[in-house]
Amino acid sequence: MTAPARWDVVVIGGGVNGLVCAALLAKDGRRTLVLEARDEPGGCALTREIAPGFRAPALAHATGPLRRDVVDALQLAAHGLSVVTTDVDMTALAPDGRALVVYHDAARTADGLRAWSARDAEAWPRYVQSRAALGGVIGSLFGVAPPSVDEPSARDLWHLLRTLRAFRALDKADAYRLLRWGPMAAADLVAESFETDLLQAALAADGIFGAMMGPWSAGSGMQMLLAAANEAVGATGSRFVRGGPGALVSALTAALRQAGGDVRTGAPVARVLVADERARGVALASGEEIAARIVVSAVDPKRTFLQLCDPMDLAPEFLWRMRNYRVRGTLAKVNLALSGLPAFTGVAPDALQGRVRIGPTIDYLKRAYDHAKYGRWSPEPWMEFTLPTLLDPSLAPEGGHVLSAYVQFAPYALRDTTWEREREALGDVAVATLERYVPGLRSRIVARDVLTPLDFEREWGLTGGHIFHGELALDQFFTMRPLLGWGQYASPIRGLHLCGSGTHPGTGLTGGSGANAARAIAAAL
Amino acid sequence: MRYDAIVIGGGHNGLTAAAYLARAGRTVVVLERRHVLGGAAVTEEVFPGFKFSVCSYVVSLLRPEIIRELDLPNHGMELLPLDGTFTPMPNGDYLWRVNDHYKTRREIARHSRLDAEAYDEYSRAMVEMGRFAKPILSMTPPDPTSLNPRGLLELLGIGRRFRAMRRHDRVNQIQLLTMSAVDFLDQWFETDVLKATMSASGIIGTFLGVRSPGTAYVLLHHYMGEIDGSFRSWGLSRGGTGAVSNAIGSAAKAAGAEIRTEAPVARILTRNGRVTGVALANGDEIRADVVLSSLTPHLTFLDLLDPAELPPEFVGDVRRYKYRGSSGKVNLALDGLPDFTCLPGPGAHLRGAISISPSIDYMERAYDDAKYGRFSRRPYVDIVIPSLTDASLAPPGKHVMSCFVQYAPYALKEGTWDDQREAFGDAVIDAIAEFAPNLKSLILHRQVLTPLDLEREFGLTEGNIFHGELTLEQLFFLRPVPGWAQYTTPVNGLYLCGSATHPGGGIMAAPGRNAALKVLQGARS
Repeated sequence: MTAPARWDVVVIGGGVNGLVCAALLAKDGRRTLVLEARDEPGGCALTREIAPGFRAPALAHATGPLRRDVVDALQLAAHGLSVVTTDVDMTALAPDGRALVVYHDAARTADGLRAWSARDAEAWPRYVQSRAALGGVIGSLFGVAPPSVDEPSARDLWHLLRTLRAFRALDKADAYRLLRWGPMAAADLVAESFETDLLQAALAADGIFGAMMGPWSAGSGMQMLLAAANEAVGATGSRFVRGGPGALVSALTAALRQAGGDVRTGAPVARVLVADERARGVALASGEEIAARIVVSAVDPKRTFLQLCDPMDLAPEFLWRMRNYRVRGTLAKVNLALSGLPAFTGVAPDALQGRVRIGPTIDYLKRAYDHAKYGRWSPEPWMEFTLPTLLDPSLAPEGGHVLSAYVQFAPYALRDTTWEREREALGDVAVATLERYVPGLRSRIVARDVLTPLDFEREWGLTGGHIFHGELALDQFFTMRPLLGWGQYASPIRGLHLCGSGTHPGTGLTGGSGANAARAIAAAL
Repeated sequence: MRYDAIVIGGGHNGLTAAAYLARAGRTVVVLERRHVLGGAAVTEEVFPGFKFSVCSYVVSLLRPEIIRELDLPNHGMELLPLDGTFTPMPNGDYLWRVNDHYKTRREIARHSRLDAEAYDEYSRAMVEMGRFAKPILSMTPPDPTSLNPRGLLELLGIGRRFRAMRRHDRVNQIQLLTMSAVDFLDQWFETDVLKATMSASGIIGTFLGVRSPGTAYVLLHHYMGEIDGSFRSWGLSRGGTGAVSNAIGSAAKAAGAEIRTEAPVARILTRNGRVTGVALANGDEIRADVVLSSLTPHLTFLDLLDPAELPPEFVGDVRRYKYRGSSGKVNLALDGLPDFTCLPGPGAHLRGAISISPSIDYMERAYDDAKYGRFSRRPYVDIVIPSLTDASLAPPGKHVMSCFVQYAPYALKEGTWDDQREAFGDAVIDAIAEFAPNLKSLILHRQVLTPLDLEREFGLTEGNIFHGELTLEQLFFLRPVPGWAQYTTPVNGLYLCGSATHPGGGIMAAPGRNAALKVLQGARS
């Protein structure tokens, strides 16, 4: 009998999922400690100063959105979380200076679409309705741990039954859409409903965001449905947080501390300590050892098992599968500090409050992807940017603005060159691409911050620079995330659990994985 | 005159359906548009003394139960072994896989010792996968949205057999359905040329690249090939693939079926939602209460029927069904044997398949050409020289060489196939001549078939050799369209029995058999 550990739970990694998991366990009365390698918690949800007075979302610029049950359970509002609601969801810029705006309100969107295509305006409400219905069914799987594949428990079967009922509740057309859209290519999916290139591309982009997939890759359709599912289970209008993603982290940290948990920053974990086939705690890089009854890893599965664990503690086949778990990052980030707001032609200012997308046609997305296949970054990248200062002027000095942009494709593994050599060139291309759609932008740039997949891996520990901790492919989803048989937040090492984006449901800043894991772990304790 | 059943199209599936119906005592007539039976499984003396399997050129998926039940050997069908796949490499080396596992293992070891070891496990796994999938080929796909208990039980049955597999194999099965051929193979192998050649079978007949998710499935589709129960052996048919069709036709005749060639059907006749027969191009009308069409859904529903007679959403689904032909065929009459620089002289390596697939990038570039609406400048070519195994196909000392080519997109961005046909033929011959320089001097005649030719001559809509892409959203209970995967159609008495129905393309004859059984079963209930 070993001496009782001071901590019930140590969580490796203070990102959104790690903090959500820790806070829920702390509320459950567990003595919980979060260990964050960086000098501030947040992981991918970070607001940082890119120039004096200019604070930008370092990595993620929008939440997934946050899951409703997480916001409620942790009373995040009470802990200072204030979400900014916008009428506009997404704006797609056309090369000719026009813009197509997708509002949360379907009717309003359809009105705007008439200028592009009467047929598409006609089709929009039906599409939104189907998308929401399908999202609802898939979303019903998001709140629970995937079933055990070997011996499903009564609860597993009950959850599946619930989803089956939801599936049967769909009208036949939607039921078949669900079966067909999942494995389909995003380009085919959108073409079934719409004819306008700009609209097709803007919607299909959901299917390739952060993925090593093009619009014609089978399975990109599923990623579109996952986005729909996140919205179905998300707290509405919570895509943006006042004060940027960092403010979300402060709220989570506050919730954790109030529940009696703690966060230690600047405390990188070097090893998971295992004795008698059971995790007993962790060893920090400093050599300090921290004992705990349960170790929970919020870092990606590859790092967890291939770097923090001793291979001797894992079965060869598990290691083989884990090595083949795909984490091919394709996303880069460019943050700009602007002296002022450039003149957007053909876009009402309020239409810039959502996510703004550059990628006018399916072919454009396809070409951008083709470069990645051969280990090159796209000379004409797909981009999504936000202007957080429009919603929250406090992020920049008087009159100033920050622009936060995703740039895809920027494959982690470059052929015949390195990201050190390419980083600034990528930044230049990103700015040039923006300038093409937003004339006069360049002249307003005060500072620029370029982050490549390599930086994501080095600074944030994202293996392969993959923002989702692993590709959201059909074979790395649900019961197979991260691996079939290990979809329930447990691991081959007793006492070692996962709660990061590399577990179901993953997909962006929703807190979903952390919340599901907390439930599974509470049961294990 | 009047029959119990009319079969439109005298390809191997139509003939198979007719044979089974005739054996069950039905009066059946098969109506074939061309002067010769076989459809795409046809042998023709294209040039005096040179007989070609004009389209489909190897037999591998022909269901053994059909060979047995129709007693095809006694009707003149003889399958000859086609042993091995030979891949010449630009560096003067080659990869030569044969059916003998240990020989192949040694050959692979020349390239990578690790791969040789992985090859054992890989082969075992694929055999398991084939075992799991095979029974599915012979079943009528249940409708997951219906509450029909029988269908649900069948689905459960598949589920149970799935769960009965080792977890390891279950993972493989799921990956096969979802991953790209290259990603799938990457898990086992490191040798580029090995993966390129193996993944090639994953793209045959699809508009996908070796890196496109979903291609791993087609890999299995081709792996399930079997002759006399032995896995993974492709075979040639003595007298060309037409001999298979003729054998089935002869079995049908023996059972009392009537077969007419040069009898093109102009219209399918219906009265208030029921099929009443067909009208031939010459105006003759033939009556029957049951009509089976082995043609593509496009021809069946949009050409032979008036879409107005069909439910609009069904017509919509039929129009959405994807063909996207991507392959062509070049048939060469040769004055001698090609001489490969990397392995000179005649030899066993010429008796198997010869694959022009030197690297994964080569394959992917070939695909990129097609994506942008051009035929591959340097295409993937799968070559067989059947006259080496079956001397009856060519005059003494001369040979016939069949070259299956990808990619040749049906829809060209610029120009028409009629003015690019010969340029395409040249590209194919150049690609082969890179490895066998003497080829050009041997060519006596050449026949170039573009996707357009396949459509015009053989009724393959958009030139797709499988009557529609084998992509996940067009398989099993979604093939050809949702809700109509059970060989029936919205028109009473009209059935589909071609490759556009489960289990799809290849000289399998399973659709013909499954459809016939469905008709007979329908008559019973």
